[in-house]
Formats: sequence, C-alpha cells, structure tokens
Amino acid sequence: MEGAHRPGPFASASAWIVAIYLVLPISIVIPVSMTDQRFLSLPQETLSLRHYATVLGSAEWLGSIAQSFWIAVASTLIAVVAGTLCAIGCWRISRRSTDLIRALMLLPIIIPSIVYAIGLYRYFARLDLLDRFAGVAIAHGVTGIPYVVITVSTALAAFDPRLEQAARGMGASLLQTLRWVILPRIAPGIASGAIFAFIHSWDELVIVLFIASRDVFTLPRRIWDGINENLDPAMAAVAVLLVLFTLLLLLLDLALRRRRDAR
Amino acid sequence: MSAAGHALALQGLTKRYGTFTAVDDVSLKVESGQFLTLLGPSGSGKTTILMCIAGFVAPTAGAVLLDGRDITALPPEKRDFGMVFQGYALFPHMTVAENVAFPLRVRRMGTAERAEKVRAALDLVQLDRFAERRPSQLSGGQQQRVALARALVFDPALLLLDEPLSALDKKLRAELQEELKALHRRVGRTFVNVTHDQEEALSLSDRVAILNHGKLVQEGAPTALYDRPRTRFVADFLGKSNFLHAAVQQGGAEAMQLAIGATPLVQRILPGAPHPAPGTKLLLSLRPEKIALLADGETADNMVEGRIATWSYLGAGFGLSVATQDLGMLRVTLPSWGAPIAPAEGLAIRLGWSASASVPVEEDAA
Repeated sequence: MEGAHRPGPFASASAWIVAIYLVLPISIVIPVSMTDQRFLSLPQETLSLRHYATVLGSAEWLGSIAQSFWIAVASTLIAVVAGTLCAIGCWRISRRSTDLIRALMLLPIIIPSIVYAIGLYRYFARLDLLDRFAGVAIAHGVTGIPYVVITVSTALAAFDPRLEQAARGMGASLLQTLRWVILPRIAPGIASGAIFAFIHSWDELVIVLFIASRDVFTLPRRIWDGINENLDPAMAAVAVLLVLFTLLLLLLDLALRRRRDAR
Repeated sequence: MSAAGHALALQGLTKRYGTFTAVDDVSLKVESGQFLTLLGPSGSGKTTILMCIAGFVAPTAGAVLLDGRDITALPPEKRDFGMVFQGYALFPHMTVAENVAFPLRVRRMGTAERAEKVRAALDLVQLDRFAERRPSQLSGGQQQRVALARALVFDPALLLLDEPLSALDKKLRAELQEELKALHRRVGRTFVNVTHDQEEALSLSDRVAILNHGKLVQEGAPTALYDRPRTRFVADFLGKSNFLHAAVQQGGAEAMQLAIGATPLVQRILPGAPHPAPGTKLLLSLRPEKIALLADGETADNMVEGRIATWSYLGAGFGLSVATQDLGMLRVTLPSWGAPIAPAEGLAIRLGWSASASVPVEEDAA
C-alpha cells in the first residue's frame, strides 16, 4: 500500500517467524527427496535425482497419479455444478432458510473427515460403491462442495443485483440471464472454487482409507502405505511433486483473481 | 423507429411492506408519447411505483394497465419495457455493442439485423465510435447514453428511467437533460421518469406527478404545478416559496381583500376556485422571483416596506432576505444585471407584487 506506515521490527519479525514455520516442513522434503542414500535421510555426499527417476519409471506410482488426477477431475465437476447451483439458488431466494442451507453445505469441512468417512463407509457398502472410482469421486465431490459454495457466494455478494434486473427487464428469461449475465460475472469465483475442490480431492487421504482398498489406490494412499511399510526416499520425491503441482494450481488461482481485479 | 407510443394507467396502486405503506392508492394516466416524471423526496414511493410498472415489485393492491390491458401479473421479461437503471446497470463483461445487442440477442434476432439495429441505436445517442469499448472505459455521460441506447434498441412499449441523471455532475446533467428531451421528441415513445430533482422534472416533462409519503399530491403540466401549487408541500418542493398567513377581509368576484396584521393584501381568485368568507385564514404561496423592487412613486397591487437582512450574489441574480413589519422575512430574487440597487445589509427597500402573483395553498395533512 502506497503511503502506508512501514511495519515495526516486532511486527515484521513475527510475520517472518510464522512464514518460516509454515514453509519449513515443506522445504525439508526437498533436500530429502534428493538424497543419495537408500533410506529416508538428508543427502550425504551428492545430490541425486534417482528417486525421482524411480517414481516416474514405476507403473504403480504413475497409475496412482493418474487415478488421483481423474478422481480429482470427476469430483471437481460434481462439486462445481452442485456448489454453484446451490450458491446461486440461495443468493436469489435469500431468506433465513437459505442461510441455513448455506451453513449446511459447509458441514463437510466443519465435521471431522473421519466421522464423515465412517458414515460413508456404511452407506457405500450398501450401494456397492466401496473401492470404486465412482464412490471416491462422489465422496470427494460432496466434500468439495463447501469450497465452491464459499467462493461462488463471495463472488455473488459482489454482483450488482441490478444487472439481473436489467437483464430480466430487457426480456431475458431466467436461463438466459444465468448464462449471459450471472455466470460470466462469477466465473472467477467458480474457477477458484474448482481449484480448491480439485486440491481437496488431490490430497485427501482419510476418506480414501475407509472407502477404497485395492482397485482404487490414490496417490496420497500410496504415500501413506509407503511410509508405513518402508522408508523409501521415493516418498519424498512424490511429496515434492505433489507440492509443486498444488503450488501450480494456487498460482493459477492467483492469476485468475488478478485478471478479474484488473477489470 | 416507429412513433407508436403506448398509454399507461395506474389504478389505485398500493404497496405495503408489513405495516409500512410505500405507495398509497396512486392513480395516474400517461397518454401515448408523453413524458411523465414522478417527482418526490426520497422515501416518497416514486421508485416503488416505477418498479411496479416495470414488474419487479408486485403491488399489494391496484392495477397497472397498458393500453387498457391489465399487466399487473405479467413478469418483467414479458412486459417489453425499456429501462434505464440508476447507475445504468451496464454489463461490465460486455462491450458497448454487446450491451446494446443484449435485448435483441434475448429475442433471438438474426445477426445481420441485430448489427443493423445496434448501429442505429448507437447512432441515436452519438456513440457509434465507442461500440467496441467496455463500459468501464467510458465517462459517466457516455455510460448513461449506452444505457439509453440499450433500453431503446428493441422498440419497447415504454421507456422507464430511474433517476437517470443523478450520478452526473451538474453541467453534464444539464447537457443530458437537453439530449434526453430531444431523444424523446425523436423517438416519440412514452417515457416515465423518476427523479428527486425538481429542475429536471420541470425541464423534461410533459406532465409531473408529485409524490409525498406514498401519496400522489398533485399532477399536471410543469407550468400549472409551478404557478398553481395545490398544497404547501408542492409549492415548497417545486422551487422556492414564501408562505404568508393572511385573513380574508372582504370577498369579491375576481379578487379578495386580505390582511396580515396592518398590511392589506389583494389576492386574485382563480376561475373555479372557492370564494372564502370573511374571517377565513388563508395560506398564500408567493414565489421569490414574482416579487419586484419598487422604485420611488411606483405602485403595485400589494406593497410592503422592509430592510435587507442578508443577501447573496448568485451570478444571474441576487437572493435577498428582507425583514418586514407584518409579513416576517420575505425571500426575494432579483436579476443581477441592471439591478436598480446595490444590495447592502440594512438597506430600506419597497417591494411589490401583483394580485395574481401569489396563490392560496392548502396546508398539508400531517
């Protein structure tokens, strides 16, 4: 901010400490992933990329990456459609009851995911959705809805309701108004929500532990098993790849926001 | 564009929000091709009436008729009315041309015909050069004209304007007033305008409806409203006015004798107006510019002496507050060019006005 007071030494020091505290565990993984040893450790003599080669040459790892990716895509689709429609509906009707519905929609991030997972396990067993691609996609899609509801509701709060009135007044039906006026205006919010829903599915582990076993073996699940069974440094390499991919998505979100604000 | 206007009528229009009555039994008629302005202070219900006409607000009672057909229950998108919103409500993600094309796109008009109509509409408001710009790249006045073009492009049955000029600065507002008036004459459509700006209402409209507390107070041509306000509120809201409490001394066929304290006054009686009995208390409205400065020996129907208490220079005129013995403080405006006096505080002057300058008004019901 131009012309604002510069922060004092105490404020900037505590800001840096918090930032380092947040970043340190992530950055430790990077040297570990480049270790020249056969077990999880810091590099001893040289830096090596062989664990990356192991991961990218392994059919199991690549299979899990692909599976995680497609599950994330499918669940994002579910979360975006359901979340956007819910947010728009609540915004248009806008009564006390819709506030309640919006709060209900946030339940999946309020309730501990292990509770959710236990419930899903019981239901999915009956519906024959355990250890199925569709099962995990639905579970991740539903738990991804809150992210979309939050971002789309925020976008709608900034939407001038007179634009909708103007469109209706000029003869546009509800669908036409939605397609040509409301959706283009809240598209950045939808995109943000989609990115968060994708990330949510991409690194979700607890639910997967409960409702998937052999056929569906997502990336976080494989890391989890790898850590439990052997301390292969390949895990660190996967973790770094995971972080990089997530970072990329967040940067994409940032770029989208910047483009919207520039308008 | 064809010159087919449509007639609009409101019958007993009422809108209640809980116990609050926003619009109270308003009946109005707008003839085809007329420019009607709903004028009132904020909270007078004028915007609610416009929203009822547009279909965004459902009235609690009463009806909206277009050419005699009841359209009260029709949703806004089926009414075919053009509307210019307060703040214009242009679509920020579309270019000017796309904004203007929107009502045509909604009606699934062919691309070629659409482009033709958009060009004609932008021509009408002299914005053809700005077709590819975004609304955010235009000035307030230009945005306002885009909103007008967009509201007129689909040949609407009625054009509704919600405080169309309120966001503009004074000079631009005056310019656009002229343009709006010329546009109305060119397209020959029925316009219904909402404003709280009395000058805008007087200069633009064929008819003005004055509202207060949700009720229609008076309706008529601007000159009729200005010169013959029915109530104190109308006289006060539309321009400035002095109010004189006078007692009737003696009636007459065309004029009556009144008095305030020891000062005698003559008041003309308008044709058809009541003839109050002697002793009746009357409230008179007297416009500051209808009072003249009297030279020595000059006479008028009504004359009063006073001293200038305060004065201000307004460019085109002087605004004087003149303290008088019986009439209290009188507000007077004089043209500044060729003024016979140089105003000064304490200066003794004589004022005069004709018997038809003032007009009896009713006190407003509380």
